[in-house]
Amino acid sequence: MKFMHDAVSILRKDILLEIRGKESLSLMLFLSLLFLVIFNFALDIDKENVSLLASGILWVIFSFTGILGMGRTSMSERDEEAYLSIVFSPVSAESFYAGKVLSNLLFLLLMEAFTLVFFAVLFDFEKIIGMLPQLLPVLLLGTLGFALVGTLFSFLATASRYGEVLLPFLYLPVVVPVILGGVSSMDIILNGKPGGPGRWLQIMAVFDMLYLSISLLLFRYIIED
Amino acid sequence: MNIIELRGVGKQYHSKTALSGIDMSIGEGDSVTVFGPNGAGKTTLLKIISGLMQATRGKTFYNNKVYSESDIKKEVFYLGHKTALYNALTVQENMNFICRLFSLDHRGKSIENALRDHGLWERRMDPVNELSQGMKKRLALAKGFITNPEVFILDEPFTGLDLGWRSSVLSKIKNIRKRGKSVVISTHLVEEGYALADRVAFLHKGKLLFIKKKEEAEIGEIYSLFDSLGENIR
Repeated sequence: MKFMHDAVSILRKDILLEIRGKESLSLMLFLSLLFLVIFNFALDIDKENVSLLASGILWVIFSFTGILGMGRTSMSERDEEAYLSIVFSPVSAESFYAGKVLSNLLFLLLMEAFTLVFFAVLFDFEKIIGMLPQLLPVLLLGTLGFALVGTLFSFLATASRYGEVLLPFLYLPVVVPVILGGVSSMDIILNGKPGGPGRWLQIMAVFDMLYLSISLLLFRYIIED
Repeated sequence: MNIIELRGVGKQYHSKTALSGIDMSIGEGDSVTVFGPNGAGKTTLLKIISGLMQATRGKTFYNNKVYSESDIKKEVFYLGHKTALYNALTVQENMNFICRLFSLDHRGKSIENALRDHGLWERRMDPVNELSQGMKKRLALAKGFITNPEVFILDEPFTGLDLGWRSSVLSKIKNIRKRGKSVVISTHLVEEGYALADRVAFLHKGKLLFIKKKEEAEIGEIYSLFDSLGENIR
């Protein structure tokens, strides 16, 4: 009970910080829109091939935009060493981590919803909105994996001066299984390929559990010097 | 009774020794000021006392038990070189957040009292990034007041403040002392540090040159030590 209370307190604080500072979600939405416009001009996409390219384009946007946003939420903790107010409190490192994962998860899901809507509009692919119920497990598992790893690495990276530059190099290789799972299962759903996305979803779930276990062990050491 | 005790504590950063052989205790209601030139190891020492950093040698005891760093962090208030405030949030929101973390009632009078005590009630709706450095330091101390820890660990609390703000922060720390709390301060400002101390310590190149009762250490002795080390602090 206390665990959740503490995690939700941190989530509430991050939502308030986003409303006041507009540093994470707003940046992600802008970048996502920019990516969509660039892809729209750069690739020869039409009604015939959009469903084949959609999953690749979307997960590239989710990955790169997401890591930028998660870097910003960690920077808000590092500025003025604000995170020490949590460290020197009865809140456990695990609750702290859970709170930050919840914040990142929320902001990432909002960014993904925004991206999907604008993708549907810009690429004339409204079908994707109708398929949201089938896509939801893919998005949830993939985004959870991003948030679990991104929260840990963004906190680690922002401790150093060049952290935000280093972050994608640390983060992207680790989340490759989740990106592969996301791209493949979304592709299967959008193109009605046989077999369904079940196996990929299982792989993503296993990696999410692995990320969670390792991150819970390591986060304590990252927030201490 | 000793609340915190260090026995033979040392800290090694790769090949560099930041602290070595530190024996020190902080009693209930005790106030220890740690003087020393820049790079003496004051911040490292305070981080170890607060549990924020692990010593590479020696043992640290909290209430006569070898403590885990996570335990001690719940019992101390640590103010480092930065203020541990969320700049984009208002004064009130920062206080509300702290109250939630400590499961304190943020709707009652406690926040109002703490902010009034620290002269920040009128600024409660302002974002922290609009406050002066002195006000931020006072807000950080107000957080300490509301959470009511046993030990206050303040690393260079007067740095970056002009004379007016310095005396204002000094009076707030004196209030902490009046409430019977233990205080550990590091500073190279001799007048302010001496005024707050029951005991004074002098750290140089990671070693404690002395730790003694204030009556046994004249303020002139501390100035002379700084002078002999070539530090112009007057």
